[in-house]
Amino acid sequence: MLKVINLETTYNDIILALKGVSLEVPPNRIVTVLGANGAGKTTTINTISGIRKTLDLAIEDGSIEFEGQVINEREPHQVVSMGILQVPEGRRVFAELTVDENIIIGSYTLQSRSHYLRNRESVLGYFPILKERGSQLAGYLSGGEQQMLVIARALMPEPKLIMMDEPSLGIAPLVVKEIFQIIDRINREKHVAMLLVEQNANVALSIAHHGYIMENGRVVMEGPSEVLKEDRDIKEFYLGLSEMGAKKSFRDVKHYKRRKRWLS
Amino acid sequence: MEKIIEILINGLSTGAIYALLALGFVLIFKSTGIINFAQGELAMVGAFVCYSFAMLMNLPYILAVLIALVIGALLGSVVDLLFFRRMVGEPMFSTIMVTVGLASIVTCISGIIWGHDVHSIQSPFTDKTVAMGNLVISQGTLYTIGLSIVLIILFILFFNRSLLGIAMKGTAEDPDTAGLMGVNVKKVHMLAWAIGTMVAVLAGIFLAEQSFVRLSMSHTGIKAMAAAILGGMESIGGAILGGVIIGVVEGLAANYLSGMELGDFHFGDIKDVAAFAIMIIVLMIRPHGIFGKEKVERV
Repeated sequence: MLKVINLETTYNDIILALKGVSLEVPPNRIVTVLGANGAGKTTTINTISGIRKTLDLAIEDGSIEFEGQVINEREPHQVVSMGILQVPEGRRVFAELTVDENIIIGSYTLQSRSHYLRNRESVLGYFPILKERGSQLAGYLSGGEQQMLVIARALMPEPKLIMMDEPSLGIAPLVVKEIFQIIDRINREKHVAMLLVEQNANVALSIAHHGYIMENGRVVMEGPSEVLKEDRDIKEFYLGLSEMGAKKSFRDVKHYKRRKRWLS
Repeated sequence: MEKIIEILINGLSTGAIYALLALGFVLIFKSTGIINFAQGELAMVGAFVCYSFAMLMNLPYILAVLIALVIGALLGSVVDLLFFRRMVGEPMFSTIMVTVGLASIVTCISGIIWGHDVHSIQSPFTDKTVAMGNLVISQGTLYTIGLSIVLIILFILFFNRSLLGIAMKGTAEDPDTAGLMGVNVKKVHMLAWAIGTMVAVLAGIFLAEQSFVRLSMSHTGIKAMAAAILGGMESIGGAILGGVIIGVVEGLAANYLSGMELGDFHFGDIKDVAAFAIMIIVLMIRPHGIFGKEKVERV
């Protein structure tokens, strides 16, 4: 469905952020992109969404295709109207608007307004807490509730693909678990494809079908999540397990010698 | 007693003009984040356009007003297209300087086109009055107040009930995220300029109804700005209340304080001072304006 081929982007015309990234999101699947800070995960998502102008981000090479159409040069609102919704990093709710108004803005590109009430019901079914918060200002919700709100908002216009940028950022582990279970349910019940950018490899790989590992603007590894979960390097560098499969002791860290295989 | 009611009603109609100008001001600020110092100039252009069609071309008054409104909307869109589309995201000072520049350009061009003379518009309401008991009020005043109230209600409904209005509020707060929700940010900004200018043009026409059409009528823009600040820049209700307060205070000051003497000190025309004095006093008590909110912040 979404195909990114050899994408190269620069910030400010000079900083090469993505150095030839290729990835694919098939319909109805959850694909996760893992990597440390500065790996280029968010840049990838923002490039697809088309918010390049305010970030001074430019595509130098490569192409982004969605359902067979090249969308390199589209503006953000055109990308959204094709059915790609982004859930931005850091829970960007409209803090000065109420929860209801946030959801209404989410439905902005919904073609038939008659679906609005139905969609609202079904979306709030996943997040019952938002129903109670309807008339509150979104800025006063808790972090977990704000994350739920931005996901709910993105679901309103019946998207085909949702790109989530670190939904676990700054949220309590218990709530993270809950949110990821809901993401998994949404994927199964609504048949929405997901591109899930995460640092929390453990929880991301638990619901994703396929994964990509990014480092320094490159995809260094990819595979089905079952395979990735069993990979020696991933276990060590992303899941924090030693070769025995147990949690690492501090002594192992101190005698740290192994290099990542992909950095040769 | 009749006198004070008359002063209040006249103050209300001046206040309605300030409120409309402030409304356009708040509208543009709310959705684009730009403080438009050229609001009064745009109103002045509107009054001149209406004058040209109504008096020079002898079109019916209502038609001239409608044409002026359409031209106002077009003017607003062109201003956005030429100047402010590329200024989005620039620091506030640069955008303010552009609006200040725009104000002088608009004044100069209007001076070239219409000259520096004082004109007046003959409307169906000119020199007609309504008598209620001992009260005598001009029709123009009532029509200004009535139309302003209708418009203001429409705007409040628009911003709280309609999809586009809510999307405009969202765009004002966070244009990038609004874009990610599928809102065409450029279109929203252009629309805000078009509507904001249209409201300014209407205010200009009302102002012409009460006094004259001339270049210096653009100074009303500064008072409208005071009204908007008094009400709290981001609130439509605040802009209206601010406008009405300043209008009424001006009316009262003009009638009761002007020409007063305290010993050897002569007050002179205190009307203009009163408006700003009120603004300063309110801001000392409520720094964000009457309806202004501090930014929502979670700690």
